[in-house]
Amino acid sequence: MSRFRVQGKGRVRHDAPVGFTFDGRAYDGLRGDTVASALLANGVHLMGRSFKYHRPRGPVCAGTEEPNALVGTSRDGGAKGGRFEPNTRATAQELRQGLTVESQNRLPSLKFDVGAVNDRLYMLFSAGFYYKTFMWPRSFWDRVYEPVIRAAAGLGKAPDTVDPDRYASRYLHTDVLVVGAGPAGLTAALAAARSGAEVTLVDEHAEMGGALLSDPGVGIDGMPAWDWIAAQLDELDRLGVRRMTRTTAIGYYHQNMVGLCERLTDHLDTLPDDAPRERMWRVRAGHVVLAQGALEKPLVFDGNDRPGVMLAGAAQTYLNRYGVRVGDLAVVVTSHDSAWHAAFDLADAGTRIAAIVDTRASVRADLTEAAARRGIRVLASHTVTATWGRLRVKSVRVAPVRDGKVQGGYRIDCDCLLMCGGWTPSLHLFSHTKGTLRWDDVQQAFLPDRSVEACQIAGAGRGLWGYEAALRDGIAAGNAAAEALGRDAQDSAVLVANDRTGSGVSHKELPTDGDPNRARAFVDFQNDVTAKDIRLAVREGMRSIEHVKRYTTNGMATDQGKMSNVNGLMIASDAVGKAPPQVGLTTFRPPYTPTTFGTFAGYHRGGQFEVTRKTPIDAWAEAHGAAFEPVSLWRRAWYFPQAGEDMHAAVARECLATRRSVGIFDASTLGKIEVSGPDAVEFMNRMYTNPWTKLGIGRCRYGVLLGEDGYIRDDGVIGRLRDDLFHVTTTTGGAARVLAMMEDYLQTEWPDLDVWLTSTTEQWATVALNGPDARKVLAPLVEGQDMSAEALPHMSVAECTVAGIPARLFRLSFTGELGFEINVPARHGLRLWEALMQAGADYDICPYGTETMHVLRAEKGFIIVGQDTDGTVAPDDANLGWAIGKAKTDFVGMRSLRRPDLVAKGRKQLVGLLTEDGAVRLEEGAQIVADPDQPKPMKMLGHVTSSYSSATLGRSIAMALIEGGRDMDGQIVHVPMPDGVHKARITSTNFYDPEGERLKV
Amino acid sequence: MTLHDRDLHGATVTIEEIPPVARFSLRVRDKDRAAAGAALGVDLPDRVGDRAASGDRTLVCLGPDEWLVTAPEQARDGIVRDMAAIRDGAPHSLTDISDREITFRVAGPAALTLMTIGCPRDLRRLEPGRAVRTVFDTAQIVLWRDGPDSFRLDVWRSFAPHVRSLLEIGRKEIAAGF
Repeated sequence: MSRFRVQGKGRVRHDAPVGFTFDGRAYDGLRGDTVASALLANGVHLMGRSFKYHRPRGPVCAGTEEPNALVGTSRDGGAKGGRFEPNTRATAQELRQGLTVESQNRLPSLKFDVGAVNDRLYMLFSAGFYYKTFMWPRSFWDRVYEPVIRAAAGLGKAPDTVDPDRYASRYLHTDVLVVGAGPAGLTAALAAARSGAEVTLVDEHAEMGGALLSDPGVGIDGMPAWDWIAAQLDELDRLGVRRMTRTTAIGYYHQNMVGLCERLTDHLDTLPDDAPRERMWRVRAGHVVLAQGALEKPLVFDGNDRPGVMLAGAAQTYLNRYGVRVGDLAVVVTSHDSAWHAAFDLADAGTRIAAIVDTRASVRADLTEAAARRGIRVLASHTVTATWGRLRVKSVRVAPVRDGKVQGGYRIDCDCLLMCGGWTPSLHLFSHTKGTLRWDDVQQAFLPDRSVEACQIAGAGRGLWGYEAALRDGIAAGNAAAEALGRDAQDSAVLVANDRTGSGVSHKELPTDGDPNRARAFVDFQNDVTAKDIRLAVREGMRSIEHVKRYTTNGMATDQGKMSNVNGLMIASDAVGKAPPQVGLTTFRPPYTPTTFGTFAGYHRGGQFEVTRKTPIDAWAEAHGAAFEPVSLWRRAWYFPQAGEDMHAAVARECLATRRSVGIFDASTLGKIEVSGPDAVEFMNRMYTNPWTKLGIGRCRYGVLLGEDGYIRDDGVIGRLRDDLFHVTTTTGGAARVLAMMEDYLQTEWPDLDVWLTSTTEQWATVALNGPDARKVLAPLVEGQDMSAEALPHMSVAECTVAGIPARLFRLSFTGELGFEINVPARHGLRLWEALMQAGADYDICPYGTETMHVLRAEKGFIIVGQDTDGTVAPDDANLGWAIGKAKTDFVGMRSLRRPDLVAKGRKQLVGLLTEDGAVRLEEGAQIVADPDQPKPMKMLGHVTSSYSSATLGRSIAMALIEGGRDMDGQIVHVPMPDGVHKARITSTNFYDPEGERLKV
Repeated sequence: MTLHDRDLHGATVTIEEIPPVARFSLRVRDKDRAAAGAALGVDLPDRVGDRAASGDRTLVCLGPDEWLVTAPEQARDGIVRDMAAIRDGAPHSLTDISDREITFRVAGPAALTLMTIGCPRDLRRLEPGRAVRTVFDTAQIVLWRDGPDSFRLDVWRSFAPHVRSLLEIGRKEIAAGF
């Protein structure tokens, strides 16, 4: 039995011990414990070192807002196990058998940490310290300051192994989403469910009940609080309410989309197979009820961060929910009635209360009487000015305050100091929606004002206090949600016995008679921001809370200032001399609590990271050893290396084989759009630069598509299959974009045209055959089409069967050789490929990939949109002026082609480049200059867009965009590269068979 | 009606690829709908998501001027012929997309839950018998609800392995009781 565990008390299972280790030492806790409650039961308060000063720290609260007790946890034995998580909140992590816990931010040990030297130097590390200290000398920044700061920065160790866990996600639709299952959330959910609405109730804790779990003495409707909770949950279940525990609402987005993170396995001793660790729920709710409650505020005084100093409400939770007394001898310091109840509960459980120190002059009589009954000394109108104790608080100095002056103080011994500075309504999710807040002068707190979403806030979250008030408010919120959804709501009453009502006052720092410049009075525990830092920031000119926040880092830690924001604001507004609302509150942003990357990534990891589109022929390429390259979402066969070949050798072989006999290429990824309808030709005329009216049925044309700006957007060969039917091909990467652009024009500009667009990219598998023997391979497989050059000339299309498969057969060439593209329904793609491979065996048919395709087209000077164009290249720049229908009155981009800058001299034009030394291959992207000896900065003439070693030509070739390039034909330019400056001669882009003789077969 | 996936321990769902059918995208203006319906022998349903069938032909309205026509494979040529016969009088686009998509059937008590891992729609409101164009993860799909526990997904061919692998991951989760 751990010394601080109270037998029989709490909701933990006293008959179910759970073993775990902390910094290598074995401890026992109980089923139902958190790491923090189990350590506290063993008398351990010291759980970490602070971020900046490395001060010893223990838990300050009992929930997810914990700033201090951040630990490393792992399942499989330490940081190397692959399930290590840094910065786990010890106050939220449920205990599980074998859990390994380690403290953070200490060297060599938690009890003796050399980093604590920072604490001795605290006068140096004031607000804005980085901005001031590391400015000079400038040269020190890169080599000294930044490396040292980076080495010291950060809290916890980042895991260095791959996360083996899986993460899930689901969408959820519900009438009413209730966030928080405390008293208000429970009654709200029940009221809404009773109206017949479909309700989802979520809570971040392991069990529902909220604050009532820490207040078992309260009676509701004649039942003890815990029995009442059980009864509510029973009814919720009977009504079909979806209840989710261990589920945090992390973000509230537009139109009632709420993100939930559900932790599925972190509490389990052993991991079930196939279980995801966490699940992201994307909830679309008709109505949202926020019942998140309020967060207790610390008091700000010198030494308020020592282990053993914690929130009074947290001590009450540890006692009543976990059966743990946080110490034997407590001093309570408070400005709110709630801490008195905590003191009474602890006293009744056997902790001696050395004193209740209340900053207020007068306190409700029933509280002082209850204290007197227990023999507790009450110090009204007192302050706390200091604490002592290195690794655990051992005494506290208290002093009376008369007329604002602190009188002589004295020490009181204690082993824990329980503080309460009042309560802050939790407005984080409401703030995500951009709901407005208003400052409440009485409560000295921001409260929700106008909501922009279909949203109610109930209970302590909107500043109410006391169980009866919260329960009734929950009913009202649940009913309001039901009525907003058009359902009949019934009012119901609730009666509370032993209610713990109360009120309090709010403070900046507590008054002290010490030197405020020496006070270590912490406002933000996690980022080690003190009251002095905030006052310094104001003295140095920060007036807005947003500036104070960034200068001091107050509220910028992972807890997002859940405890520190309001205290920081009170101090800043005092220093500025303005009311708090004039100084403002910083904005909360999702997520509400730190959330794993895994939850955000969900299923998108490994093979599911992104869609990988594969063609029907991909499996053949993989089986035949293809190297692949990604092209938009597709993976495409890049080249087919044979034994001992590198890419260069494989591509050279593929190119030569294709030009010598025949090559085969999987062109299935080409975008395909069927343009169909009586106005198809008119539509084509308006979209593409080319004229289409006179294109005969069964003929093809190379089409150029521009944007409104006159620049090339896409290109491809387009075949006319009927008077009213075009088979359009687009680039692989442009398919979706081109279809969207066409639809956009059709729907918004020309809705009168009787034409329809259908994507057929994936309907067809496309195989390209190129080479002088292409017809010999293909013709024997074709039925229903005369394959002679006369019957099927260059740039024609026919419907026939190939290898018994219905096909759209194009004769066209992207290589300069006799070429065909055979389209067959996708399911037959592989069969067609294999039939052609077999038929081509006698001709040494050579499968080739995208790299060879690129080389072959570059030898002919054919452009690749997006490689030789960059969105600023007009048709004439790319030598495609011929593709513009001269007699056309309009097409997309036509008007822009007459812009002065597009007709001016000196535009960059696509030209060929031949290096003086044919063995040198220029780098794509390399810049081009006229004179390499000119002074810097040099005048850049343009850049290399495509560059290859051409096995066919026995030398390198390149294309480049060069200012006025066509007028420089034959001139020498210079291309600086890492290995030196290379000379190159400007030429035509048509490097191979410029007369096109090879097509005439 | 609510379906609680937390009550699904032991519930099953099967995922299978089903054989191809003849599938066409039909686009036609309002004035010519009746003619198209007459030619196909099925009146074109006018509410997006509605389905109509006659004989071996099924039509689903996917958009204000868009229908999906499905039929057994052997009916393909007949559909092409019937529609070609009215082309002059009732201009339309009939595009064969039989091979564009792969179809998966997702069926079993946990089918609806499995669909929620990738489909943002409130599928409880998709009545059995209807079909809609929507997304599953990042892939566009046509989703058919054939019964309370039975869905079909038409997925573009190259996206199908991605969708299938996500469905399998989700199926394992459900089988594991999570």
